[in-house]
Amino acid sequence: MSSSDAHAPNPHLAHHYETIEKQDYAVRLGMWLFLGTEVLLFAGLFLGYTVYRHFYHEAFHEASRHLDLWAGITNTVVLITSSLSVALAYNAIKQGKTKLCAGMLIFTIVCAFTFLAIKGIEYHHKFQEGALPGKWYHYAEVTAPGANLYYTVYFLATGLHAFHVIVGMSILIWILSRVLRGHFSESYYVPVELGGLYWHLVDLVWIFLFPLLYLI
Amino acid sequence: MAHEATETPASKDEHHGHGVGRYFLVWGLLLLFTATTVITGRMDLGAANIFIALFIATVKATLVVLFFMHMTEAPGANRLVFVVSLVFSIVLMIGVFGDLWTRNPMTLPSAAPTTEAPERP
Repeated sequence: MSSSDAHAPNPHLAHHYETIEKQDYAVRLGMWLFLGTEVLLFAGLFLGYTVYRHFYHEAFHEASRHLDLWAGITNTVVLITSSLSVALAYNAIKQGKTKLCAGMLIFTIVCAFTFLAIKGIEYHHKFQEGALPGKWYHYAEVTAPGANLYYTVYFLATGLHAFHVIVGMSILIWILSRVLRGHFSESYYVPVELGGLYWHLVDLVWIFLFPLLYLI
Repeated sequence: MAHEATETPASKDEHHGHGVGRYFLVWGLLLLFTATTVITGRMDLGAANIFIALFIATVKATLVVLFFMHMTEAPGANRLVFVVSLVFSIVLMIGVFGDLWTRNPMTLPSAAPTTEAPERP
């Protein structure tokens, strides 16, 4: 760091941190701790899935074949691509390329909307067919015992994931607005990095949800 | 933007990013693995199906964590908290799987008598 930094206080430095390095270290550690709790949250859901799949193996297999595989594949490609673009946004702001960063964030947000739209169409089809969770289940094509539990797990897992997509997208929109207002540069970009980390977690969860729900 | 003011040779060196090539390579691999898991998922490989699917998903997740999330550059404490959460998820699963796999099949819901069971005399 240049000597002028010692005199002019860094506007991004909170008063309870001695240096910006310590603050950056702490916020990154805090973010990874939070991501750890997210892993544990979804681990509980995956565990519930595994137990019911073990109990109703055939019903889960049959019910999974009634999901729209192409919608699942498209959404996987959309999320993986959005993960790339958010990583490129971080890479751009790290080099001070504000416009490229904003462009990549806009692309990521468009991907998030696309994901939600495809998921919404899938949900709509399932609602119409009666493949609903719990006592509302009245899907005529899959009547095996336990199929109703498959759809309960399906809606819970993809619903919680979709909620994370909405939260992640909102965070990225907020970060984009700050990028456009020139809040970040190559000397301060931690919020872009942390927003990106959250978005990657959304991708990580889907990487496991996709084969477990669509390909069993 | 006060771009030029902060651009000392030292900071330029410190803040240089990765080549974007690496990100595109990881993206290509993720798409390749997605195609692989769709193909193997639709093949009938019996009990191996779920293990292949989980193995491919784990490889994909590892790529995302290491390169998109830059865990290769993260300090030890950050790696530790994340990996510990994964370890405890696995501990949780091993505990529950130990129960499930050692149960008497009679206790599974699929062993419950159906309405088509033979009538008692």
